[in-house]
Amino acid sequence: MRLGEPGRMQANINITPLVDVVLVLLIIFMVMAPQMRTGPEVNLPKTAKPREQGDERNRILVTLDQTGKLWIDSQAVAPEQFGDSLRAAAGTDPDPKVVLRSDARLRFGDVRRAMVAIEEAGFAGVGLIADHAGAKSGGE
Amino acid sequence: MQVNAGGPGSELQSEINITPLVDVVLVLLIIFMVVVPLLLKGYDVGIPKASAETTSAAPDTSQVVLNIGAKTCPVFEPPAGIGLPADCQVSLDDRVIPVTDVPARVAELVGGRPADNRVVFLAADEQLNYEAVLRIVDLAKSGVDDLRIEFVTTD
Repeated sequence: MRLGEPGRMQANINITPLVDVVLVLLIIFMVMAPQMRTGPEVNLPKTAKPREQGDERNRILVTLDQTGKLWIDSQAVAPEQFGDSLRAAAGTDPDPKVVLRSDARLRFGDVRRAMVAIEEAGFAGVGLIADHAGAKSGGE
Repeated sequence: MQVNAGGPGSELQSEINITPLVDVVLVLLIIFMVVVPLLLKGYDVGIPKASAETTSAAPDTSQVVLNIGAKTCPVFEPPAGIGLPADCQVSLDDRVIPVTDVPARVAELVGGRPADNRVVFLAADEQLNYEAVLRIVDLAKSGVDDLRIEFVTTD
């Protein structure tokens, strides 16, 4: 079969537009990947070898921004409600994991207070989120 | 040129077959969609109970305490570049050592223990910069693979 040949039916589906669309979607995802994170922007500390923080979906993301305000996912939380909100976020999850994104410019004492608050809410450990040094800022 | 072995009557196929390409690209797309929400890296640390209950270090082995003081390691601003200032010293198991020796000393102290007892207790001054403390955590973890870090209060 040759395109443009008169009088012949074209039997193949033209999938070139499909490929175009899918490639564009792929590129959009690759560009969006570093930005698709809930919670406010923070300047994560850069370290040499951060480990993967599990691929569980039952992760609770706590953010401590530069002003010392606490966030659970994308919701700012008052300090006095933090414990209750955290337990509510955990729900009935049997093994919830709390990860803490804290701004690199904070003092250690601020972060430690957040960790103590997490402990008092009933969570034994916490994952401290960092950026891989050398990766571009805001990246994974 | 005989491309098709499809028997008599089959025509020469002049188009590239892009179906495998589409397959691969679609799979890549799905992988990205799944992985995107899960990309987070960091350090697992323990927070011992504030109450009197002590943590799980077996009583027969001594507890290794890594103490980061504001006097010996005065880092109050995010450290520039990677690593820590050269003058930063920490106290590990009651010995003051330069921070660059931390991985080797941690490996020496707890590397030989059974895996579930590789614990370092970390006490850091509240005034210190968080990024500097986390970089010291990184150094300690790079010395022993499955090291557990427990944060303790200094007071």
